Amino acid sequence: MTEDGGRVGVRGLTKRFGPVAAVSDLSFDAPPGAVTGFLGPNGSGKTTTLRMILGLVAPTAGEARINGVPFAALQRPARVVGAVLEAQGFHPARTGRRHLLACAAAVGVPDAAVDVGLGAVGLIDAADRAVGGYSLGMQQRLALAVAMLGDPQVLILDEPGNGLDPEGIAWMRSFLRGFAARGGTVLVSSHLLGEIEQTADHLVVVSRGRCVYQGGLDQLRASRRARVLVRCADPGGLARALATAGIVEIDTLPDGRLGVADADAVRVGDVALAAGVAVHGLVEETIDLEQLFFQLTTGAWRG
Amino acid sequence: MTGLVRAEFRKAFSTKLWWALLVPVVVLSLLVNLFGGLFTASLADAHAGTGVPPILLGSLAYSLSLTSVFAALYGVVTAAAEFRHRTITTAYLTAQGRGRVFTAKAVSTGAVGALYAAATVVVGVLAGLVAHSGLPGVGALAAVTAVGLLVAALWAVLGTALGTVISNQATALVVTLVYMLVAETLLSLLLGRSDNPVAAGLAAYLPVNAGDVAVYDVAGRALLGDGTQLAELLAGVSRPPPWWGALLVLAAWTAAAAATAWLVGRRRDIT
Repeated sequence: MTEDGGRVGVRGLTKRFGPVAAVSDLSFDAPPGAVTGFLGPNGSGKTTTLRMILGLVAPTAGEARINGVPFAALQRPARVVGAVLEAQGFHPARTGRRHLLACAAAVGVPDAAVDVGLGAVGLIDAADRAVGGYSLGMQQRLALAVAMLGDPQVLILDEPGNGLDPEGIAWMRSFLRGFAARGGTVLVSSHLLGEIEQTADHLVVVSRGRCVYQGGLDQLRASRRARVLVRCADPGGLARALATAGIVEIDTLPDGRLGVADADAVRVGDVALAAGVAVHGLVEETIDLEQLFFQLTTGAWRG
Repeated sequence: MTGLVRAEFRKAFSTKLWWALLVPVVVLSLLVNLFGGLFTASLADAHAGTGVPPILLGSLAYSLSLTSVFAALYGVVTAAAEFRHRTITTAYLTAQGRGRVFTAKAVSTGAVGALYAAATVVVGVLAGLVAHSGLPGVGALAAVTAVGLLVAALWAVLGTALGTVISNQATALVVTLVYMLVAETLLSLLLGRSDNPVAAGLAAYLPVNAGDVAVYDVAGRALLGDGTQLAELLAGVSRPPPWWGALLVLAAWTAAAAATAWLVGRRRDIT
């Protein structure tokens, strides 16, 4: 493995379908040894981006590289990158085993790898049934078995949680964590923060084809400072008093409460008492990551 | 590359398509060669007084012409199925370059097309034995078989290219069937009526006619010493090229279709 082994790099990636810009000037990195969560609402360009990384969709501008080269330049692509994509299909009449056997021949691994793969994803019992009879979750597992055939350095997954039951999601989560812990690169997309919150080390958040946040989860949490929400008799008076005390980041909420950043409840209460403003309610706002994500992707958040 | 070819064969033989199309190939060969005597009756004059002519060659050539339609359909359905079932994504992700995927698929469909022709000949000869047709010599039979195998293989590859270019399975199937069974016949009639001798001779160079001319010419040479008469009669063309020329013409059409498939497939977005 080279120093660059398994790094996925995206630079200025842009894709227009006619007048519609599906992806605009997107740049990010997915480093080896970590799980990178690729988050965004449905229709935000995640799938198009992943397909451009995999050489399935030609970018209008920019480029995506795996191991420092475009996908098309990889000598044995399935040995470097495995992918589980949403619109990746199976012939309904072909059995899971025969599908894997065909893929094993294409990848260039011995047939013995098929049984190993079937075992790893728990499909041994269903292997000789036609894929048309598989549940969505079983199809996801089969797609993962195909992706793992070439023992790749990079795993790219598009909404792998779709169709999986909670048990399957937990299984997938530990599978991806294990893969990254062994030095692999994982790039996994989702439209639900909660789904990859416990899995991802880094986040790339996109909205309408543009990157709106990139960094660690902790930084994301920290970027949104906790606020104290105050209901009081004279919001204007309290705001002036707080400003005099050096606390200037104050918002007025739609319900008339004040949102005070950079101060805890004790401090706000003390200032209110000193200013003679009657306080009717004082709560510390909790940071809900899902809400934060929603704000990020709807463009309401300015950080 | 050998791995990709093996993968294509594994795909081919893990669904029912190959034998679902083999069934009509076998049935048609059986019927055509059992009743081959009726259909080659017009040739009997040429052999007056020389005993039973080896008319089986004529009916074999006709059934090989029918087989090429099924070989083409096999290629079309196989190639378009990858798009219909979205397995093309996996195929492209596990191969270095889309051109290799197409080449490997063409090798496998070409082989299945040749298999159809081989089945046509085996069943046809057995049917001929049952019907007491005049049996041809080994050399003549081998020549017709070899040309038939090549024509069916080329048609399967041509179909693979069409299926790749059109990619919508139903559309590709309809286009192929309408062209092979109706459109080219009409086109040949139009060209044949032309006063311009060059235009009138062009009909023999259309793909379906070229494939037919190749098998009819080689069969006609063994039957009558010269294949032109049989080829003109059965393919409905005038002044056809010899069998090897007709094979080259069909090969050129196939190469053109394959090049189109390569160009179209190379930049196509797989969404």
